[in-house]
Parts: sequence; C-alpha cells; structure tokens
Amino acid sequence: MAQQTPVRPLGATGAMIDEDWEALRFRVHRSAYRDPEVFRTEVDRIWNHTWLYLGHETEIPKAGDFKTRTLGGRPLIFCRDADGQVRAFFNACTHRGTVLCRHSEGNTKFFQCFYHAWAFSNSGELAALPGDDAYPDDPAFRASMALRQVPRLQIHEGFVFVAFDPDVPDLLTHLGPAAHYMSLTAKIGEHGMTTLPGVQLYSVKGNWKLAVENAMDGYHFAPTHNTFVGYLRETGFAVTDDDQYAYDLGGGHGLLVLTGHNGRIGMVWEPRFGDEEKTRTVTKRRELEARLGPELAAEVADASRILFVFPNLLLFDLEALTIRQLEPVAADRTDVRAWQFVEVGEPESVRALRIKTMVSFVGPGGLATPDDIEAYEAVQRGITATADSVDPAHDWSDMSRGMANEKQGNQGRSIDEGAMRSFWRRWAEVVGAGTSVAGDPPAGTPAAGPAAGGAGK
Amino acid sequence: MVKVESREVTRAEVEDFLYREAQLLDEWRLDEWLTLIEPGGRLEVPTTDWAGWDATTAGYFVADDYELIQARVKRLKSRKAHAENPHSRTHRMISNVLLLEAGAETVWISANFLIHRYRDNGAYTYVGRYEHVLKVDPDGLRFRLRRAVPVMESMDPGARLSFIL
Ligand code: FES
Ligand SMILES: [Fe+2]
Repeated sequence: MAQQTPVRPLGATGAMIDEDWEALRFRVHRSAYRDPEVFRTEVDRIWNHTWLYLGHETEIPKAGDFKTRTLGGRPLIFCRDADGQVRAFFNACTHRGTVLCRHSEGNTKFFQCFYHAWAFSNSGELAALPGDDAYPDDPAFRASMALRQVPRLQIHEGFVFVAFDPDVPDLLTHLGPAAHYMSLTAKIGEHGMTTLPGVQLYSVKGNWKLAVENAMDGYHFAPTHNTFVGYLRETGFAVTDDDQYAYDLGGGHGLLVLTGHNGRIGMVWEPRFGDEEKTRTVTKRRELEARLGPELAAEVADASRILFVFPNLLLFDLEALTIRQLEPVAADRTDVRAWQFVEVGEPESVRALRIKTMVSFVGPGGLATPDDIEAYEAVQRGITATADSVDPAHDWSDMSRGMANEKQGNQGRSIDEGAMRSFWRRWAEVVGAGTSVAGDPPAGTPAAGPAAGGAGK
Repeated sequence: MVKVESREVTRAEVEDFLYREAQLLDEWRLDEWLTLIEPGGRLEVPTTDWAGWDATTAGYFVADDYELIQARVKRLKSRKAHAENPHSRTHRMISNVLLLEAGAETVWISANFLIHRYRDNGAYTYVGRYEHVLKVDPDGLRFRLRRAVPVMESMDPGARLSFIL
C-alpha cells in the first residue's frame, strides 16, 4: 500500500513550503502558482517593497531619451534628464491621472499631457500649467504638482533598479554577492557593455515563479532541449552537465555556473563560432588578462553563468548575453522582456555572430526557449488537476533533487534543485507564507559562489 | 509585373508562390518547404520594436542563416521539439501582395499575412507583413531572404514563434 502523504493545513497560517531533512523532501504547494490571492500578496509584499530591475542605462544613452515600461503593474517613465541623470517617474499626470507619455520610447525635453496640456520637464518639474491664473499664485502649488518620482533609484554597473518603498535597504545590500556576478559580466567588454535595440517582448501563460525555476534548473536541460543539444552535437560540440554547480547567493538570488554548457563568444571557442572567431578568442583572452589580471580574467571568461536577481532579473551570460526581465501580470500570466547585451565597439562580424547565436537559443522564436515556454504553460495547465479539495495530498510540486548531497555538505550541482529551494525559502519569508521544516537542515553556510580560480566544489 | 535580367515576374506568379508556401507550412510539409529556400538564404523575424535594423546590429526573434534554417526544420520534424509536439494547427491568409523592386536576379516583394494558430485550447493571432527577397530562377522563385515582420506591439500571451511565421 502506498504510504499516505500527510496533508498540511493551508491558508494564511498553513505551510506552503514543506521541507523535511529526514525524508529528504522539499515541496511547494501548487496554489503558490495558481491562487489569485497569493498573487495579490506577492504584488503587495514583493513588488511593492523590494528593489526591482527597471532597465539598463544604455537603453537611454542621451539626455532626453526615455522608455515607458510597466513594472510591478505600474506604468513608469524611465528617462535621462537634461543634465544626464537617470530618472524613473510614475507615468501618470499629477492633475487627474492620465497616462502622461503614451509612446514606448523617444527623446524629449518635456512630457506634455494631452488632456489639459500640463507639461513636465524630463526632471519632473511642472513646466507649463495652461490657465494658471485660476490656480494659487504660489510656487509651492507648482512644486506639489511635480511629476511623482519612484521613491528609490540606484544603479549597479549600469543596471538600474527602483523600489516603490522608500525604506528598502541600499541596493548593494539587497544584491549581496549577486553584485559581484553582475560586475563580472560588465567587465567582459574592453570598452564596456551595452544593450541593443530589438527587444523581445512576449508573454507566457504561466506564473512568474515557473520562469525563475526554469532558469535555475539544469535538470531540465537535456530532456527539454533535446533538439538543441542535438543541433550543437552536429556542429561539433558535446554539451556536458559535469562539473556545474548551483549557488545560493542569499536574498533569494541564485547562480548557476556552467562549464561544459556551451562556448562563450570571445572567451571559450566552440566550432559553430567559426575560424575567424577562434583567432579572436585568443586575442580577446590576452586583452582580458592584460586588463584584469589572469585570475579575474579567468573568472570572467571561463564559465557560463545564469544569475537570478530576486525577484525580476535574469542575466544569461552564456554563448552570448541576454538580460531578461519578468513582469508578473496575473497568477497565470507573465510578460517577458529580453535585451541582447553586447560588447561596446566589437567588430561587426562578432556582433552579427553574437546576435545570431543568442537568438538561435533564447526567445520565443529560438530553438530552445519555446520548449521552456511549453514547460511553464504545461505546468500551469497541469497543476489544475489536483486543485482544491480533489486531491490535496498530491497538490504539491517536488523540488527535493540533490538534498542528500546537500545534507552531506557538498556543493549543489546545477542539475539538482537547490537553487530553486533557496529561491522558495526567500519567497516564503517575504510573502509570509508558512514553511514547515522537519529534521536538521545541513549545518554551515553554503558557499556564496565558486571559490576563486574556478568552479568550486 | 517587374522585369529582372532574365525574365519577367508577375504578381500572379508571386501570389501563387506565397500561397503554395503557406499550404506547405500549414500542412507541416517542412522538407518540401525547405526546397523553397535558396542555399545561403536567410529566415528572419524582427522584434516588435523594429525600425529597420538588420539582424547584425539589433536583437531579433529569428535570425537564421541557412545552417540554422536546416537545424530548425530538423528540430521541428523531431518528436522532441516539445513546443511543436503535437504540432500547432495553423491557418494562413496572405493578401496585399506588392512587387516592390527588381534586382539583377531578385525581386523584392511585400505582402500582408494573418495567421491563426490553435493549440491546447488556445487561439492565437499573428498579424504582420512579409518583406521577402525572392531569387528568380528560370522556372520558379525561391527565398533569398524570408522576412516576416510582426505588427503586434508584443507577442500575446502564449503566442510564441515555435512554428514558422
Ligand atoms: S490630466 Fe493631465 S493635464 Fe489634466
Ligand atoms: Fe531551458
């Protein structure tokens, strides 16, 4: 007879995470992906009170450049003011709330509301107030009607983060060890890094946390991306899962360090990059070593990395680079935005190779990402099977792979589910979801990243 | 009608070519479809913010050279192309065909497309414009550049590009 899995209470005080170090079991209650109430709690506790990735400063290189973008459900203007300072405003007229800027991008000195023609400078001052004779003749009135700035904005290595809560700790405190991995990526280009136009905007019928799990999940790579792995094999490259690790960076941030996953343009050659790139890889490596020293150059160049910065940024530093932003829309829907991230001033042929290579893998039209999207969407549909009171004992998703290894104090592998577990623990903490922990968790603090000089054990 | 060096090309010929291509794609006859691409040809889908950038300077949804087109077809024929196993049902409407410009051996054409896709009880609509460069052979046409430009503001929920747009 099958052993009966104990049912745990749910709801405000019930456990949504069930962690058992005797049974070596870690599971997440499926309502976490499904329940509109959980989604509302996430918006309130996470998106309203945590640093969020807004965009990269290279998206708005010149004074007056702007993009409009919804973040945590709030329409924002992301712009560079006349003095060159990066700013984020709520994209709502202070008069009666009309969306102020209805263009997705552009360059302007003033944002003028079409409704009653109030105009705001790109640093937020109310610059024009038609018929101002009927308003108080008082600078304080105009000041009170300035465009509302998002309370916090800080930049790390060109990555612009904002928070709607004025009391969040400093950005670097929030990022913790994740900041270092963003810096490594920023160091690849001799003349810096930049985003490119040509942004992939798409939407998936799945919970945002499924997209996080998928990125921190090396276990799915071989079966899900069977056809992509087959394509690589035909180009003369054998993918391996060996010697690849997952790191808990704290704060819900996670990192996979992948050594045999793929080549890295300019850094680790593989046959599909072609002979010209083979020569350039040698030169580029010398440049990196001269600029950064051999140790840091090795850390930057040798291994691919997938970095998750809680809650909405994924930085893929693989064969080429992609910045991916997650914007939850509903429990079962997530908008995704993805930018190519490239070296400033690289030769045209390398730029072309980089775009072709990255796009062949990622995005809704790639040879790999569509299968990931299929996974999020198939999970979202599948988890309705056990919902409500029909099969409560099995309304859980299992993420226990690698717990035995972790219990022995070994570094988690990328093909285990440790990076997901650390994400979920942090998630539960922030949203206030119940966690049931049984048995003794492994002693000691896990490594916050590979030891210097290569992927750690 | 336009004239390339070797012969004349009519709109009716281009329309026939596009309709037959649509039929092959809707029927998932991908090997036959591949013969419509000239060796060295390209398959492109720009992103929805596209402002004319080519695929060597900006991000795209699809930027396949001929090798990748072949890899894409091989993948889509595999049962392991999970996003397209089972295959989506697609239904393509093509209209507003224009012959824009003749080159020495090519003709640049545009057309509007409306593609309905159905899968997993979901219905998706893809609206856009083709901007193809066709190689004019003595006995037919082939794609030198096959470019599908979406006009949507973004890809709708579930509207991935796992099939050939
Ligand atoms: S709502 Fe903007 S000017 Fe009135
Ligand atoms: Fe994947």
